[in-house]
Amino acid sequence: MPRRTLIKSTLTAAALSLIALCAPSFAAATDPTEIRFENHQFNPQTLTVPAGQALSIKVVNASNETIEFESFKLNREKAVSPGESITVGLPALSTGSYDFYDDFHQDVPDGSIVAK
Amino acid sequence: MIAVLSVAAFMVAQLKPVRLTNPSPKGELSAPPEIDAVLRRACYDCHSDQTRWPWYSRVAPFSWAVAHDVNLARREVNFSEWGEYYPATRKRKLEWMERALLEEVMPPWSYRLIHPGARLSDDDRVRLERWIETELDVPANGPSAK
Repeated sequence: MPRRTLIKSTLTAAALSLIALCAPSFAAATDPTEIRFENHQFNPQTLTVPAGQALSIKVVNASNETIEFESFKLNREKAVSPGESITVGLPALSTGSYDFYDDFHQDVPDGSIVAK
Repeated sequence: MIAVLSVAAFMVAQLKPVRLTNPSPKGELSAPPEIDAVLRRACYDCHSDQTRWPWYSRVAPFSWAVAHDVNLARREVNFSEWGEYYPATRKRKLEWMERALLEEVMPPWSYRLIHPGARLSDDDRVRLERWIETELDVPANGPSAK
């Protein structure tokens, strides 16, 4: 086998092994936990998530008004149109409470994500 | 042929109406004059109900983008509704403003490019940061605190 082909095959095998090794954690990171907005409030209002693990949160807007899912602590803000949903990717969180709110409606009760 | 089609598309685009409104202020921000001047120069066109609509905001497709951006910006923070915000909401807006200042993401580069007068000098930034710090020191409580 020519040297160049050998190097190429080795690199490809290494890359594939790396992807395979990362697959379980990647799958965990993309498995969303859901927060639903309806009746002018978030549900659940407190979402408990594992600390030290990247995760995704799916925010579903089941109301008929545009909301903005926002968290200063998490440095996230994203508008969600009625009937639509978004996925918010979060890095591994330290143990603690991270509040979130609807920035477009200040009378909506705050929610919090608690990392344990 | 392409030129003719482009002109036709441009003309048709003008038929889609865009509402460029400046509602009556509900609770204008009251800030020291030097802060007020900076905010009006750099922020008010998008983040208030006192937008100075530029000429291109009346020409599609620019009008669509400008109207969209201003509407969104007003929902994010509207200095003409500042007095209507709960104290806790005001605190949050101030915190985001401070972050935007530190990260130098406001005013957006695209806006600064067309409106060089909206650029913030180092002095402007320092002044605004000090004002934000002062405002954040005011306790967010009271009857309308969330």
